[in-house]
Amino acid sequence: MSELCDRESAKAVQAKQVGNAQTVRNFDVPVIVDRAKCITGCRICIDSCPVDCLAVNPETGKAHMAFDECWYCLACEIDCPKDAITVKIPFLLR
Amino acid sequence: MSESIIDADIVVVGGGSAGSTAAIRAAQSLPRGRVVLLEKAHIKRSGAIAIGMDGLNNAIIPGHATAEQYVKEITMANDGIVNQRAIMEYAVNSYAMIEELDRWGVKFQKTESGDFDVKKVHHRGSYVLPMPEGYDLKKILTRVLKRAGVRIENRVMATRLLKDGDRIAGVLGFDTRDGEFVVIRAKAVILCCGASGRLGLPASGYLYGTYENPSNAGDGYSLAYHAGAELTGIECFQINPLIKDYNGPACAYVTGPLGGHTVNAQGHRFIESDYWSGHMMMEFYRELHSENGPVYLKLDHLAPETLTEIERVLHRTERPSRGRFHQGRGKSYGQDMVEMHISEIGLCSGHSGSGVWVNERGETTVPGLYTAGDMACVPHNYLLGALTYGKLCAQHALDYIGDVEISADLSGQIEAERARVFAPLSRPNGIPHHQFEYKVRRLVNDYLQPPKSANRLQTGLAHFMRANEELGEVGANSPHELMRVMESHFIRDCAEMAARSSLYRTESRWGLYHYRQDFPKLDDENWFAHVNLKKDSAGSMSLFKRPVAPYIVPLDKAELRGYHGLRVAQESALSA
Repeated sequence: MSELCDRESAKAVQAKQVGNAQTVRNFDVPVIVDRAKCITGCRICIDSCPVDCLAVNPETGKAHMAFDECWYCLACEIDCPKDAITVKIPFLLR
Repeated sequence: MSESIIDADIVVVGGGSAGSTAAIRAAQSLPRGRVVLLEKAHIKRSGAIAIGMDGLNNAIIPGHATAEQYVKEITMANDGIVNQRAIMEYAVNSYAMIEELDRWGVKFQKTESGDFDVKKVHHRGSYVLPMPEGYDLKKILTRVLKRAGVRIENRVMATRLLKDGDRIAGVLGFDTRDGEFVVIRAKAVILCCGASGRLGLPASGYLYGTYENPSNAGDGYSLAYHAGAELTGIECFQINPLIKDYNGPACAYVTGPLGGHTVNAQGHRFIESDYWSGHMMMEFYRELHSENGPVYLKLDHLAPETLTEIERVLHRTERPSRGRFHQGRGKSYGQDMVEMHISEIGLCSGHSGSGVWVNERGETTVPGLYTAGDMACVPHNYLLGALTYGKLCAQHALDYIGDVEISADLSGQIEAERARVFAPLSRPNGIPHHQFEYKVRRLVNDYLQPPKSANRLQTGLAHFMRANEELGEVGANSPHELMRVMESHFIRDCAEMAARSSLYRTESRWGLYHYRQDFPKLDDENWFAHVNLKKDSAGSMSLFKRPVAPYIVPLDKAELRGYHGLRVAQESALSA
């Protein structure tokens, strides 16, 4: 029993010094951009977003939601000149 | 890292409502380009009113209200702890601001005879003025800003203010897209950064599902604090009645005049006034946690035409996505009551009474530093207060700068801040900002959310001091993440301020906003005073009282309690 306690104390000290590890996780995001309608190089939605969570997707050249940091304010949807954006209520709130 | 240095006469930090009128007014009197406006997002969609506002909640329209009535109403609503001169200054200047908005093209609801269509929502007087095209507000303000010759710097976040001795000397920050460090040397600074809206964690756990625009992360509170300015009323939290889960306003101010009202699960009214005050929220809280809970907004008794009108306003302005929220849940105003809940806590003087200490000239305790809007303590000042005080700050800043020169050598502060801002980039594998933020805000909920008690507040404070150390482990991989890390610093600062102020005021006041279980009574004998805080010479947060200045509009004892006892008497509850 005492051996397990000693081990735990020693590991507690090590836990403070051992450094970081990270993993990748997927998030369902609320802003959906219709790639057929989105104009490459337009950037209006990226400019409009009050929380800077839209960006150009380097793989497609179109706008997309880069971060799950949406205020579901609809600025992007309202300002898009091609009606290419649909904002869903974030899953956690829906 | 590249750097940009700009010299300005006046720099406005924050391009929302207050920042817009401040920059516009300043630019009207200064050469083109000498007024700089910094906006963390983009002015066309920035601030609390990113998607506009459906009405002015505190308009003082001749024939409907007087300045004296208004000052009295707010004094009551904030349990007497107000600087009446500052509120009076708003009151006497607000109608001129409405006239200017009108010239800019803002539409106000009028009656058939052409009078302003003012509605009663407050407990005593009538101050609510609907704006039928309120969704256009940002477009109008943007147009006027550009025409005025303001130098607008979008996507620039301020992180610290520059000082030259005791007075303000400028702003430091960085571009949140390309990471360039930005130095603005200025004669005066007007802070308009909005509320501290990412303090408590919403019940949903979604960090950005906040009542306030999440970009309003308490930046201004922290900027002012570190510049040595006094803040006040931080213990007077903002706690709002919102649509459950959606976390946006149910908008009793819009539905109330049309016949809607707040009710319990039985469909009975239990409060006499839906105006947002700490005392109203206390009754809301009690009802919510009683066998009669939850609380709802009731609209299903209204005529179809009225419901159409309500949807026309609420589903186009301020938080329009509530329409798809209700539809997604299979609910409609005509069939179902709207379930409500209590928001996460925040700091805001638009709706409550926290902010940087200001006088009737918008001056803080630091020469050359002005502030307006949700971060400047003029209680309950809402949108029109922000717009009016933005203009007032500019007017007074213009007078001030005549005797001031741009400071030359600020390199020590600039170097120190550059190192502090970019440090997280040297820890690409450090703790991600969203985990740090989630933890601090969850702890805010655990220990600061009312009902408050010394034991919980002390424990919370210890966590927030420890969080200061943990910030040294947080990393960033891009300018966007750097912005989030800097916001985490602001959030932590606000949490510490909220804990310390709440501990200091050993009484209960403002209903739910500062309800202390260990000191449940209002104690005017000891606590009829402002609780202020500032950064002392040792860099620590020090707290002290300031006396409430003698009233210019007197109230008797009964009037001072005018917002107490808002619960509907039992007999009338059944007639709802």
